[in-house]
Amino acid sequence: MAPADIGDRLRGLPGGSAVALKLDPREYADHYFAVLNATLRDIGGETDAHVIYITVTNPASFVWGLAQALDVPADRISFVDVISHIMMNYSNPLANATYIETPRALEEIMLRVDYLLRKFPHPRAIVVVDSLNALAIHNPRELLSEFFHIFLTNLKSRNVLTLILMTSDEEAGGLEQMLSLLVDETIDVGGGR
Amino acid sequence: MDAPAEPAPTAPAAPRALMAPATVLERCATGISGLDDILGGGIPRGNMVLVSGSVGTGKTTLCLEFLVRGAERGERSLLLSVTEASDKLIQNLSTFEFFRADLVSDGSLVFVDLPALYNKLGLEGEELSADEIDIVIRTIHDLVRTLGVKRLVLDSLTSVCYRIRRDESIRDFMLRLGQSLSDLGCTSLLVSEIGPTQGRYSMHGVEEAIVDGVILLWNTRRQGDILRVLQIVKMRGTAHSRAQYVIELTPIGLLMAPHLKGSQQEGV
Repeated sequence: MAPADIGDRLRGLPGGSAVALKLDPREYADHYFAVLNATLRDIGGETDAHVIYITVTNPASFVWGLAQALDVPADRISFVDVISHIMMNYSNPLANATYIETPRALEEIMLRVDYLLRKFPHPRAIVVVDSLNALAIHNPRELLSEFFHIFLTNLKSRNVLTLILMTSDEEAGGLEQMLSLLVDETIDVGGGR
Repeated sequence: MDAPAEPAPTAPAAPRALMAPATVLERCATGISGLDDILGGGIPRGNMVLVSGSVGTGKTTLCLEFLVRGAERGERSLLLSVTEASDKLIQNLSTFEFFRADLVSDGSLVFVDLPALYNKLGLEGEELSADEIDIVIRTIHDLVRTLGVKRLVLDSLTSVCYRIRRDESIRDFMLRLGQSLSDLGCTSLLVSEIGPTQGRYSMHGVEEAIVDGVILLWNTRRQGDILRVLQIVKMRGTAHSRAQYVIELTPIGLLMAPHLKGSQQEGV
């Protein structure tokens, strides 16, 4: 799918959907920005939406910087930052972020998302996981499969739209197959669906 | 020949309840997110439950939320504190969004310092005699009956038992206290402090046999990181989950998520 069309595609998804967004590592920067634009501005910018962005690849401060460039208001986005602590980069925490000490505490991710969904109830909640590959660096496949099965099923039952970012490299190979059983569809950003 | 009469339309059959108990006991909903789900709606009313765990596992916070949620629902709630002064507990509680100071001021949420009560009753010896144990039970009974208390927390049972000591006396104290509270329709949580690797649910090992339920809390490690875990070990009068759950003490209250099993863990 052309990066420019992702926003329209995501806008048409019903609540409770789970979608994997597969980015081409060769054009990662362009595609990543296009996906952020689609998730944070196109659907996250809708009046009744609230985005919970789980950052494992980059610190929340980095993604928040990009979100600000896209004019995303701070009250529409909350971060679950899973990487800053482990990078020893926690000196200036964001007000709209909650921090988890390690990407290995997968239950903590579920609990923080649960907390944010209860604390800020919105008709249209969107959870973004950035990314499958980064979580896979820190967690064994078996644990990650269990996590995604429970996490996605729970979010589906709560009518939350879940978007999982991943790259199509070899590392994600086995996980991509696992994830395909759990998501409603996989969108190949920049390629065919 | 007349056409056969059309059969009268019938309502679709309701699904059969496959595991429904013969009698459903009245529940005391804890109000704690997730906990009532795994208890089938809450703790059976009048049950006496041990909340067991080592330090820093969330025992007191769980119990305080149980009391606040009850007071919010119009059930007068009483904390008998042995280890921490009421003022300090209320100060700690005020950091949670679920706490409402008006519940204390209007008498829905009552704090009593047990050491002060001991002094008032003249129970100053290191070990309580049989008569003194009787006085303690009657005093708690009278307090619960007079105030119309529906939820009680004793924090901690372990501290009370330091002054009872003999296993037979502890067993007798708990049997009589449990019966007394149950007769008054009061659901109680008794905090039990145990070591991290104790392998039982109480200091003396007799408490868990007497109570109606045991909620166990402990810390577990995953590759060096510590997670807080909760498990319902026992609960009379209801079917309940026996799975393990990771808990988090958030500003809006205790939250639970299934404990993932994909890797080796150890208790700490």
